[in-house]
Amino acid sequence: MDSLFLQQVVNGLIIGSVYSLIAIGLTMIFGVMRISNFAHGDYAMVGAYVAVFVMMWLPGPLGWVNALLAAAVIVAVAGVVSELLIFRPLLDRRTDIDMIMVSIGLFILLENLAQFFFEARPRMLADPFGGNTVDLGLVSTSQLRLFCLAFSCVAIAGLQVFLNRSKTGIAIRATSQNSRAARLMGIDINRIYTLTFGLGSAMAGIGGVLYGTLFAVYPTMGAIPTLKAFVVTILGGMGNIRGAIFGGFILGVAETLGGSYLAMEYKNAIGFVIIILVLLIRPQGLFGQREGV
Amino acid sequence: MIKKSLGIALFTACFLFALCVGPALSADSVKIGILGPFSGSLAFNASEMKKGMLLALEEVNDAGGLFGRQVELVYGDTECKPDKGVGAVKKLLTRDEVLVVGGGYCSSVNIAASQIADMEKCPVVVAIAISPTITNRGLEYVFRTSPNSPMFLNGINQWLEKVKQAKTVAFFMENSDYGRDGEKIWSELSKKIKAKELAHLYFEIGDTDFTTQISKLKNLNPDVTFNIASTTEAALIQKQAKELNFVTQWIGVGGQFTEAYFKMTGPISQYAMGSSLEPTLNMKSPETAAFVEAYRTAYPDSRPGIFSSQGYDNLKVILDAVQRAGEPTGDLQQDREKIKDALEKTDMKLTQGRITFEDDGQVHSVVPSVVQVQLENCEPELRIIYPEDRATADYQAPQPWRERECQ
Repeated sequence: MDSLFLQQVVNGLIIGSVYSLIAIGLTMIFGVMRISNFAHGDYAMVGAYVAVFVMMWLPGPLGWVNALLAAAVIVAVAGVVSELLIFRPLLDRRTDIDMIMVSIGLFILLENLAQFFFEARPRMLADPFGGNTVDLGLVSTSQLRLFCLAFSCVAIAGLQVFLNRSKTGIAIRATSQNSRAARLMGIDINRIYTLTFGLGSAMAGIGGVLYGTLFAVYPTMGAIPTLKAFVVTILGGMGNIRGAIFGGFILGVAETLGGSYLAMEYKNAIGFVIIILVLLIRPQGLFGQREGV
Repeated sequence: MIKKSLGIALFTACFLFALCVGPALSADSVKIGILGPFSGSLAFNASEMKKGMLLALEEVNDAGGLFGRQVELVYGDTECKPDKGVGAVKKLLTRDEVLVVGGGYCSSVNIAASQIADMEKCPVVVAIAISPTITNRGLEYVFRTSPNSPMFLNGINQWLEKVKQAKTVAFFMENSDYGRDGEKIWSELSKKIKAKELAHLYFEIGDTDFTTQISKLKNLNPDVTFNIASTTEAALIQKQAKELNFVTQWIGVGGQFTEAYFKMTGPISQYAMGSSLEPTLNMKSPETAAFVEAYRTAYPDSRPGIFSSQGYDNLKVILDAVQRAGEPTGDLQQDREKIKDALEKTDMKLTQGRITFEDDGQVHSVVPSVVQVQLENCEPELRIIYPEDRATADYQAPQPWRERECQ
């Protein structure tokens, strides 16, 4: 195993962890409410801008930690507000196309509002590790990237524990599996919808801060994470959380290895080739279960 | 029901808001169309161009406008996408009925948009896009106030031939006309100086993660890496090269060196090279010095960069031609024809130098210098290192990351 291969796997895992973090929210919302939210990546953008403003007041590593918390809270609130005002009224009489068009509209609106209020200028979030790098001989990376990998894993694991152990988490899963049965069991479906939207948006907000610190913050930054999150979600199975976690890592590694050993100019196309293959061979996704079985 | 009407009210409010943001058009102003990627990943650079143009616009309108009429700029947003650019230029030509089209950023967009303008017989003056294709198709109505890429790269090519003598080179560029044209020129040069071409790697505009490509470059270890990218991508590439501990002599076209780039990279961009027409490097010229001062007065928080001065020059040239063409008669075809004839006779001294067009509509009299990013108290600044008669500093060879003081 040569150093290039190892390096590319590490690069892939790191970027994949951020893909997973953002995709989890998307897949949760889809699982529970059957909404394909094309504005999901823009929640990440909003989170990144929250971090920019928090760090103007409070620079340094402490500011960054606060920014992460603030982004989670504010984006969760924004998610809940958009759920109540925009998605909820359409839930009863919607077709899939309605929801898709509304979320695309929200995506365009948020992007343009950000451009209007925050300028188009790309901004950097100061690296809480001061840009320190880690050189392990065969593999180099930065402390920030390793932190992103570790943090995403912890956040994902925390969410898993919440969904599997807590009563509310189990209610969310029950709603996702069969909302009518869940309602008959006395679960307040509307509360679960709001909660899921808030939680999913908070994950995107946190993902946005990590993404913005690794790269840059600008109004259109949500587009690529949205695209990747959809690839990941379809890859892992729509609505399947475990699928989103592994899907993120698989996509990250497939892109870096494919880009490195096949053709660099098609790096971004690799995700879509995977989608087509998955839809042809295993339409329910790698981790999804066939409906009605 | 309340919820529903609230939704409708919100939607209406947003819609009205969107309507208000558009500029109000007045009937008897002199209308000039301006193309640029005012939204999308290049919106910041386009806003710098616009700031320069607004300075020129203010100068003319404060002095009473042209022929006693105010000059009005009508913007067409291209988003740096050729299909959007074609739509935007068609709207400017037919709906807004502009006399002439200026601005223009992104080569792929301007190759398409200028063809449309030429078919409609409306003069178009490109400000920033540098692909040679724009002016070498023999289109009569197409002009450009910026040097093209061979002109931009000429100085660097001489430096590579005479000074650097690289043995191995790699290419890493935007997958667009801007990237591919630069690649062609530097690939020819590499053959001429007998440097081995190790790799040709591409990325898409708007990409953010370049670790795959940089890891591959690091494995090949080229002496020189040609990186043809715009501000955001170029800055992220520098940052990620550091994370992956990759050292090379980066050479770019020069358009990446903007205020935003230096804010994003800080001292990490040390040793990067490019070609530049930065106005602040050319303060001996009275026109440039005056522009820099006016810009700093008008926008105290921003640094006058290359795109702002190119935007300024572009609109100055257009205003001068409209003035010499005489008061518009209202017959659009005839007015546009007269402006085209006036443009051909342009001869002005502006911030980039003397501007005259040759038969191909290209300015050939503007000569960029070779610059390198060097540090002063850990703050990055551009210095001219070639040609010798203009140089303000010596070339510094890139040092390994752990030996650099400022990071």
